[in-house]
Amino acid sequence: MYPDSLCDSIAIVDATREKRKGEELLRLTSAEMEGLLRRYHPDYREAGFRNLRIGANRGDRTTHEIADLLEAFSNLDHSKISLEPEFDTDVLVLGGGGAGVTAALFAESMGARVILATKLRVGNSNTIMALGGMQASVHEDDSPVRHFADTMGAGKFAGKRELVKTMVEDGPAIVKWLLELGVDFDRDEEGNLATRKAGGITAPRIISIGDYTGLNIMKVLKDEIRKGEGIEVMEFAPAVELTTNGFGECNGAVLFDLGRKRHFTVRARAVVLATGGSGRLHFQGFPSSNNFGATGDAIVLAYRAGARLEGIDSFQYHPTGVMFPDHMVGVLVTEAARSLGGQLVNGKGERFINELETRDACSAAIIRECEEGNGVRTPAGKVGVWLDTPLIEETQGKGFLKRRFPSMYRHFMRVKIDISKRPLLTYPTLHYQNGGILIDEKGETTVRNLFTAGEAAGGIHGRNRAMGNSLLDIFVFGRRAGLAAAKRKYSEPGNVTLGHVYRYYDRLKSLRISSVATSPTLFPEFIVSKL
Amino acid sequence: MKNSAMFIIVELEGRKIRIPEGLTVIEALWDTGYDVKRGIGCLSGLCGACTVAFIERESTKVKFGLGCQKVAEEGLNVIMMPCFPSRAARYAMEAMAHPLEELGTHYPELYTCNDCGACNVCPEWINVAGVMKFAKDGDYEAAASRVTDCIMCGLCASRCPKSIAPQYVALYIQRALARERPFPPNLAKRLTQMESFVFEAEWSRIVAMGDDELKAYCAAMEGP
Ligand SMILES: Cc1cc2nc3c(=O)[nH]c(=O)nc-3n(C[C@H](O)[C@H](O)[C@H](O)COP(=O)(O)OP(=O)(O)OC[C@H]3O[C@@H](n4cnc5c(N)ncnc54)[C@H](O)[C@@H]3O)c2cc1C
Ligand code: SF4
Ligand code: SF4
Ligand code: FES
Repeated sequence: MYPDSLCDSIAIVDATREKRKGEELLRLTSAEMEGLLRRYHPDYREAGFRNLRIGANRGDRTTHEIADLLEAFSNLDHSKISLEPEFDTDVLVLGGGGAGVTAALFAESMGARVILATKLRVGNSNTIMALGGMQASVHEDDSPVRHFADTMGAGKFAGKRELVKTMVEDGPAIVKWLLELGVDFDRDEEGNLATRKAGGITAPRIISIGDYTGLNIMKVLKDEIRKGEGIEVMEFAPAVELTTNGFGECNGAVLFDLGRKRHFTVRARAVVLATGGSGRLHFQGFPSSNNFGATGDAIVLAYRAGARLEGIDSFQYHPTGVMFPDHMVGVLVTEAARSLGGQLVNGKGERFINELETRDACSAAIIRECEEGNGVRTPAGKVGVWLDTPLIEETQGKGFLKRRFPSMYRHFMRVKIDISKRPLLTYPTLHYQNGGILIDEKGETTVRNLFTAGEAAGGIHGRNRAMGNSLLDIFVFGRRAGLAAAKRKYSEPGNVTLGHVYRYYDRLKSLRISSVATSPTLFPEFIVSKL
Repeated sequence: MKNSAMFIIVELEGRKIRIPEGLTVIEALWDTGYDVKRGIGCLSGLCGACTVAFIERESTKVKFGLGCQKVAEEGLNVIMMPCFPSRAARYAMEAMAHPLEELGTHYPELYTCNDCGACNVCPEWINVAGVMKFAKDGDYEAAASRVTDCIMCGLCASRCPKSIAPQYVALYIQRALARERPFPPNLAKRLTQMESFVFEAEWSRIVAMGDDELKAYCAAMEGP
């Protein structure tokens, strides 16, 4: 239920709907786009960034929040923990999202003994939250080459060609694997996989399962992982440090048992780091669409172990995060709302950007409107613009929103907002880490025996990820990392040490970097911003 | 920030306490010093980790919901109840020729369901008892089509007097049905093309391109 002050603003949206209906907004020229991004996109706010002073990416630009974590000491007291391995395994997978579970399943299929450790419950992850769908070139008019071109273009050609090629070429086979596991992708009348177009994609390529694509895939993967004895699952056991041997190769990790509140060590022949993204670091104070555990731990752990990062100054801000009611701030309103004709409307009842522009451009435009005083203020002091959902209902027919977006409809009905009658107040929300730990086609990082997959990995999506490519990437590279890691099962892991951490400390000290922060973060500090 | 915060009195985990208005149950727990991590996942109403049971002021009925979505109101009495134990069968579905026919072997308790309706407490508004009835009667399509929004929170299972775990029964049916569907023709065609290297010539051209050439090539790629 909206308070009176917002109802007044909604009245303006209602009053201008008829006029806006037929209005065509021109697409931005590339110069206009460039100008808009430079001026308003958070990735270009120099005040939010600095250059790293230490490690493999010294001199590279990243956000203060990440730099703070990389230039910090570990949050575990090394003198107080035992590195005597409590568990010994072939493959240790860290992270129980889509990438981690896929890696574990494929490693097990090769006969490796697998331990999968994760921060919360298996499945509590960004994967479960992916609503829209997954890209795979299965449509007749589409091809892997076309998928490649679209992905390179979306990433502004900063993605690595060989990784993008690998991803698009594995796509159809990964879909086959999911189907065989019992994932029920939507079909058309002929039994084909149903495909849709989306912004920046030149062929119908998004496949989905209703409104809840990631959830329905994850349910099946979770069911599958319970099947055999080959995968031991450790929940509520986040990784806090990797371990290395005398050659600097990765050979395990130190985990923290959240229940018993103590550290323990797992030794492994290979480690797959699949702990996802960093939305909960709330860069530059932005709200986030991410799950509670998305605190960028992978980059911290891998960096201390010497791994090279890629593109860690590029993030995706999804244009339409919820701004009201307060407890839903940051929650995603799917892209499809804009593709189906939902207009972005400022406080004066005007449109200000063609809604089909890319995510970064739409976000920058919303930020511009709010900074120029054309935003709408909530009683809690937050500012946003309207997403005119009743317009979708009007053009697509009565009952459309409830049918097409049942979950979104329900979520707002719980707070007595009927999205078919009332618009939604939105503002960009921190959504995705475009970069991450640099990998090769096997998913291996620059540290031997350390593999990475999923949102934690970097090099694929360049400076902007196209919608639906992340779900594809986590299964493609999760599989590859799992298979390659399993092949290391005969290698000699060597002594479990924290030598790399001590060396990192020495360098921090010699650079006179002193920091009170400790990392990884593990759980976001919760600030009840409504007080 | 709102400085004229209004306060309300609620009963959290059996403790009467004053909190600011407008917090969800999870936020209220955090605000009052409970370091809850178990039972928290997405904070968006999608993962089902944060189930709560509550009684609203002047209500006589215990209700159920999600702690990240339920906003605390004056007089609310609420506890968290994540991870209710539910029996999930273990099976290797690829080893079964017709998994749907084996539903009863893996979930025999399904057939003790007497339509009591106690499981209809779903935060996703699923008519769980209805789904179980379809499952019992063998109308698997009807059952599966109603549970795509199930977030596996387990609230339905927590209410069932027969210890049925409707979420796992439904998942079994969803998977089994998906496996029995004919292979999609469009995917089959694409896989055959790839096996016969139809795109190889194009790839070798791309690999040889310089950066500017590649940009021009991608820009020229127009929708079919
Ligand atoms: C709301 C939302 C909607 C989205 N929609 C789409 C979409 O429609 N299409 C698409 O392609 N992509 C979408 N994405 C992006 C996509 O879902 C994610 O990028 C992708 O699922 C990431 O998968 P992952 O396995 O790498 O990480 P996650 O799924 O996030 O899994 C990481 C796991 O690691 C655990 N973990 C974290 N730290 C540690 C640690 N220190 N030790 C052990 N475990 C740890 C986490 O708890 C989590 O379980 C969406 C993302 C969000 C947030
Ligand atoms: S069907 Fe059961 S497990 Fe699924 S969302 Fe509803 S109450 Fe939760
Ligand atoms: S509560 Fe149990 S017995 Fe009652 S309808 Fe639901 S599944 Fe059947
Ligand atoms: S925390 Fe995921 S549903 Fe509440």
